[in-house]
Amino acid sequence: MTTGISLIRENTASMQPPRALWVSFPLGRPLGKPGDPAFQHRVISAALDLLNRNDGPVLEDYQEDAPQIEIEHAPACPVTFAKKTSDIEGWTEALRAEVEALKPWHDLGRRRKKGRTLVGLSSLSVMDNALKFADLLENNELPVTELKWFKAALEDTKVFYLEAITAQPGAYEHTYIEQIFWSETLMGKAMLALHERFSDDDGLSAFARIMAPRSAVSGAKKRT
Amino acid sequence: MVRLKDLSEAEQAHLLTKNDPPLGPSAWNRLNQNINTLRFALITTAGLHFRDDLAFEFADATFRPIAGDENADDLVMSHSSVNFDKSGFAEDVNLVFPIERFRELRDAGKIGSLADIHYSFMGAGLEPAAYEANAVQVAGMLKQDKVDAVFLTPV
Repeated sequence: MTTGISLIRENTASMQPPRALWVSFPLGRPLGKPGDPAFQHRVISAALDLLNRNDGPVLEDYQEDAPQIEIEHAPACPVTFAKKTSDIEGWTEALRAEVEALKPWHDLGRRRKKGRTLVGLSSLSVMDNALKFADLLENNELPVTELKWFKAALEDTKVFYLEAITAQPGAYEHTYIEQIFWSETLMGKAMLALHERFSDDDGLSAFARIMAPRSAVSGAKKRT
Repeated sequence: MVRLKDLSEAEQAHLLTKNDPPLGPSAWNRLNQNINTLRFALITTAGLHFRDDLAFEFADATFRPIAGDENADDLVMSHSSVNFDKSGFAEDVNLVFPIERFRELRDAGKIGSLADIHYSFMGAGLEPAAYEANAVQVAGMLKQDKVDAVFLTPV
């Protein structure tokens, strides 16, 4: 028998699994709050209670919301990303400088989390991947024959940035982190530029979907 | 908090395309023993695996086994979707794959035991039916592991 978490109530209601606990938490956070075992246990306990129901399917609403995090109470971003795309003389030096600036913060965050990091899907370092992105942009090329590398490199780069931005202890509002990455960092701008090129290519447009979230793409369009 | 009505119209429309009819006839097994005797496995669709495992492809119906005695802090995520938060998982693996919470439940006697192997799929880019053959394979392995109940987490 199964029980579990539902993040999109409407999807679960249509598919009718035997038992599901719908939670109001953000996508990506099915147990609600990182680093809070008591909160997570309350969610799990409510989902396990569904096993005792006599009839199903059961779709129950969990009544507790994840705590709101006020942006002004979250630790400040440790790096200032002031440069505009129009100020960039070359992607290579710009991305190199940005990754170098973030590296000590990423190292600090990794030590705080006792060595835990999500970086490492790609066989290349974060810096080498950044320089390859810069090459693609400067040479107006797409990695047609290297899509497997490109997917892993995108993932590694994004988690490197978010782990560096959240290096200091504290609770972070995830939409704020996304906003910093996609609207303030040069890497975010580089990925959006590549996303646009992928979107314009008939053979690769489907791949564009895994490069940047819909909210970042629409936000970039509004800014231009 | 996130409710569908709080999201943009475009996001709502996209997520509602994921509504699907039930897969096959409804399945319902009534529990006839106490939860504190059950053997549990965790299954997530978060695209988790260890760093030296094969990463999930762009669209991928395969699964990765996660041994119960390995260090879950070494898990990484190669989910194809970019439309959900990953910072919480980067901070705490249990937010998505609550293995430490289930070990605590086992140690407190609130569940019976934990499976030797847990599983991760990657839920993006494919219709649910594409996962059927691999889901059947996992079900067989869960039976072999004498698992009574599965706790499912999406992402």
